[in-house]
Amino acid sequence: MDFRLSEEQEFFRQTVADTVDRLIMPKVEEIDRTDEFPWELWKEFTSLGYLGLRYPEEYGGMDADPVTCMLFYEEMSRASVGFAQSVTMNMLMGTYFVYRFGNDAIKERCFLPAIRGEKIATMCFTEDQSGSDIGATRTQAKKVDGGWVINGTKNWITNGPLADCATVLATSDPSLGAKGLNFFLVEKGTPGFSPGQVLHKLGCRGTVTGELVFEDVFVPDENLLGEEVGKGTNYLTEILNEVRCMTAAMAIGIARTAVADGLDYARKRMAFGKAIGEYQLIREKFARIVTELEASRLLMLSAAWKIGEGMNPRNEAMMAKYHAVEMCLECVDEVTRVYGANGFAEEYGPQRYFRDARFLLYGGGTHEVLKNALGKAVMSGHWR
Amino acid sequence: MVVLAKEVPDLEAMVKVTADGGALEVEKRRGLNFFDEIAVEAALKLEQSAGASVLAVSAGAGTGIEALRRALAMGSDAALLVDDPALEHADSLTVARALAAAARREGFDLVLAGKQATDDEAGLVGPMVAELLGVPCVTNIIGLQVEGDIARVTRETEAGRETLSVALPAVLTVEKGLAEPRVPAVMGVMKAMKAQIPRVTLAELGAEAQPPLTLAGYATAPARPPAKMLEGEPATVAVELARLLKEEAKVL
Repeated sequence: MDFRLSEEQEFFRQTVADTVDRLIMPKVEEIDRTDEFPWELWKEFTSLGYLGLRYPEEYGGMDADPVTCMLFYEEMSRASVGFAQSVTMNMLMGTYFVYRFGNDAIKERCFLPAIRGEKIATMCFTEDQSGSDIGATRTQAKKVDGGWVINGTKNWITNGPLADCATVLATSDPSLGAKGLNFFLVEKGTPGFSPGQVLHKLGCRGTVTGELVFEDVFVPDENLLGEEVGKGTNYLTEILNEVRCMTAAMAIGIARTAVADGLDYARKRMAFGKAIGEYQLIREKFARIVTELEASRLLMLSAAWKIGEGMNPRNEAMMAKYHAVEMCLECVDEVTRVYGANGFAEEYGPQRYFRDARFLLYGGGTHEVLKNALGKAVMSGHWR
Repeated sequence: MVVLAKEVPDLEAMVKVTADGGALEVEKRRGLNFFDEIAVEAALKLEQSAGASVLAVSAGAGTGIEALRRALAMGSDAALLVDDPALEHADSLTVARALAAAARREGFDLVLAGKQATDDEAGLVGPMVAELLGVPCVTNIIGLQVEGDIARVTRETEAGRETLSVALPAVLTVEKGLAEPRVPAVMGVMKAMKAQIPRVTLAELGAEAQPPLTLAGYATAPARPPAKMLEGEPATVAVELARLLKEEAKVL
């Protein structure tokens, strides 16, 4: 057993960290304040080629293993989780099924421009009445001659209102629940497809999240992203572990920035004649949250490593997401306490970490749903 | 072109003098020297216009690979590490001998280097390499154009800007402002990650390993006395400040 990153992975991590520090860090506060999609940064950052990270080299990608991808997601989220979400939507959820099932023309039209950052991609799951419970999806696709007609409304879609290419989850038979689901590619400009309301979020600002409306949207047969009708749930499992590990990596990224800021503050802030970091109660906070942070990272990296080895770490990926996000919430809470009243001030970082961290609770499954699934797995002997 | 690339601790790495004062404990966060990164960028810009190739060379005892990978990620064509136990805590002359021998073996029209490293800040290696190679040297340049076998360089002096013409081959050391180092793109990062960087020893280069200087020890700088803050109306504070500068600090 060897827990070290390879020399190459370490170099990659350091290079990404440096890129993030140079390009994204200086813009983080502005992105949060204006809540506008940072087009200029998007162009500058995506021109470096990172969006193809997990895809084969023949498409201009890096063919990176899941552990290397996690290092990228973690470093990105150290700066702006909002921007990281826009980026990762194009890198993974918004492009995976287009890459996996799209024909050459579709790849040329949507996949390649999306991983070059020239087009914005998204994946639409959530609706007003369904999120983690995807079997309750109401957006419906009806088979017609030569294609499908889609009707429904999606909500909480990252990149949604800006999307050029949307991978849409829709049921072909509502009576089948999770066994009637499919993915369809819908492109901007298709009649009946339009962006709806943009949501104003507490955190993760700068990433545009909102509704997408489908009114009698016709797409041709080749836009069904899957080999068989009704297998959407099965296809989804191909990336679900990775999505959950990615959410864990993002939580770890936020927590690292919070801890770094907290340590800096605790070393400088004086109270009763000495730095507050000299007091045991402050040290206890750091001892505890850093231990939890390292535990989260081990869980996340081990699950990611298993994905790379072709295993199916379904439970570990759920644990990684659940543990890391709870750790992150605890961590930013403790850091705001280290800051005292300044933790409540917009002039300091912790209030932003506090707001951003909460958005990670939902993606990849709420913790209530994840714990239910984990509890069921454990009770039925599927743990280990 | 050859670029001299030193691996140094990250500027934010923690540094501590050991209890016996014999060495430094440095946090293991290392990268390419800030000024050498500018040299790499300047070389890459020239490469585009002149069609030359860029070789990054570093010297260390088992260190230097990180710096060279960075130079490769930015776009350098090749890298070479002079890796020798004798380079552990080596003085500037020993390092310069190693780098000059490597440059001589590989061939060059131009050697570019940072004006100094951000760890020891000696600023000696560039000019020493020039002397060992027997070629001209201009330090601290902020402008560079190559026309045929002449380099036109600009350097900032106390009196203003100085423009010089230098016959190539030459060694030029670069100052901040010459070029803005690029952020490496993924293709470069991939190439750097996969690169098998060749290593040579001092003996293989025929370079002398006996350092004329030995390290006697380190000491922690004495803590600064606490700053005195003056409070009150600007006019009163100014008078008091002038008095303190004259009577206590004795600088006026």
